[in-house]
Amino acid sequence: MTNARTAKSAREKAAELRAEAAKAEARRRTLTITGALVAVVAVIVGAFVLIKTAADNSNGTTSAASSTPANLIQGGYLAGNSTAKVTIEFYEDFMCPACKQAEDDNATQLGAWTKDGTAKVIYHPVAILDRYSQGTEYSTRAANAAAAVINSSPNAFLEFHRLLYANQPAENTPGLTDDQLIQYAVQAGADKAVVEPAVTNQTFKAWTRTATDAFSKAGFTGTPTIVVNGTKVESYAAGAVKAAVDAAAKK
Amino acid sequence: MTRWSAWQPWLTTLARLALVAVWFTAGWPKLLDTEGTVRSVRAFELLPEAMVRPFAYGLPMLELILGALFLIGLGTRLAALLTAALMVMFTFGIASAWARGLAIDCGCFGNTGASVPDPVPGYIKDILRDLGFLALAAFILRRPTSRLSLDARLGLTPIGATS
Repeated sequence: MTNARTAKSAREKAAELRAEAAKAEARRRTLTITGALVAVVAVIVGAFVLIKTAADNSNGTTSAASSTPANLIQGGYLAGNSTAKVTIEFYEDFMCPACKQAEDDNATQLGAWTKDGTAKVIYHPVAILDRYSQGTEYSTRAANAAAAVINSSPNAFLEFHRLLYANQPAENTPGLTDDQLIQYAVQAGADKAVVEPAVTNQTFKAWTRTATDAFSKAGFTGTPTIVVNGTKVESYAAGAVKAAVDAAAKK
Repeated sequence: MTRWSAWQPWLTTLARLALVAVWFTAGWPKLLDTEGTVRSVRAFELLPEAMVRPFAYGLPMLELILGALFLIGLGTRLAALLTAALMVMFTFGIASAWARGLAIDCGCFGNTGASVPDPVPGYIKDILRDLGFLALAAFILRRPTSRLSLDARLGLTPIGATS
């Protein structure tokens, strides 16, 4: 009886020990595999970050752009007299429906102010909506084309800008083709021989990225953004823009 | 008890698959539109400029890897832990943007580039959604055993074992 009990408890004890050892082994394996996974994830993410950063440094995204358009004034296209008291900055993405709305609402008064000297307007093409053109990066292509026009035929810019809104593609379509961009640039009065290669080769793509990055670094997150003498106007409605310009003109 | 022990691994599998969908739909557009992701991260005004790009480059990759881990069911607990940590971080980020009166789009599933005149409904929706995902991750953390997983295949979280 006593012997039997001792034998049984010894067997039980052995089984317990085996179970414990198996558990410890499973824990050890889990720890090893988890540790290895942590290392693999860290290496993949870290390598990806390093490669992207190295690519930035070699193609000049974060440094000054290699190809900056000529005729830029304060980073954009200047309409009106540079000595005007009120400065209106208009940040636009040619794919953005609200930008077209802002253009439609404000074109007339902006034209009047630049003509009578009340204000000057600086147009800043940026590209924040590239993901809405089915991979063709229409926002970047359009901003690049605008830079090409400013570069070679600045007097054609306002008409080109107007044509891009008059023929604005819907979001989530491929957007205008390069040929259409060239056609509108020529229609606006740009020199085809100079604009065509700049549009086709996206000569000002790096500049577009830098300009868009500067827009973001200035704390702006969406388009259109209208800034009057350094202060963002909360709405792009004609009345709000006029109120901001009137207030700035009185100061 | 027996019913629960039979169902629970399938429930964890479902939770895993839900997070697969979350991470793939969150990570992929961010990876494709890198510059948009950079702008979204910057818009939170939480990271110093030098950290913005590394963070924006690394985050989508991490999200996709987590999605892949949940898909194959490898390191399920680790993936759930990292998911929970990211959800806490996102919730904090959005709440902080709200508290500071920023008007931004969270960029959670890619940057929309839209102006946000009234961001508060979006903040509430984003926070509730992220808390829902946090709950899924917490469930997986507590019950990591799941069907159709490499973890079970490798005997790391054997089905039927009481943990």
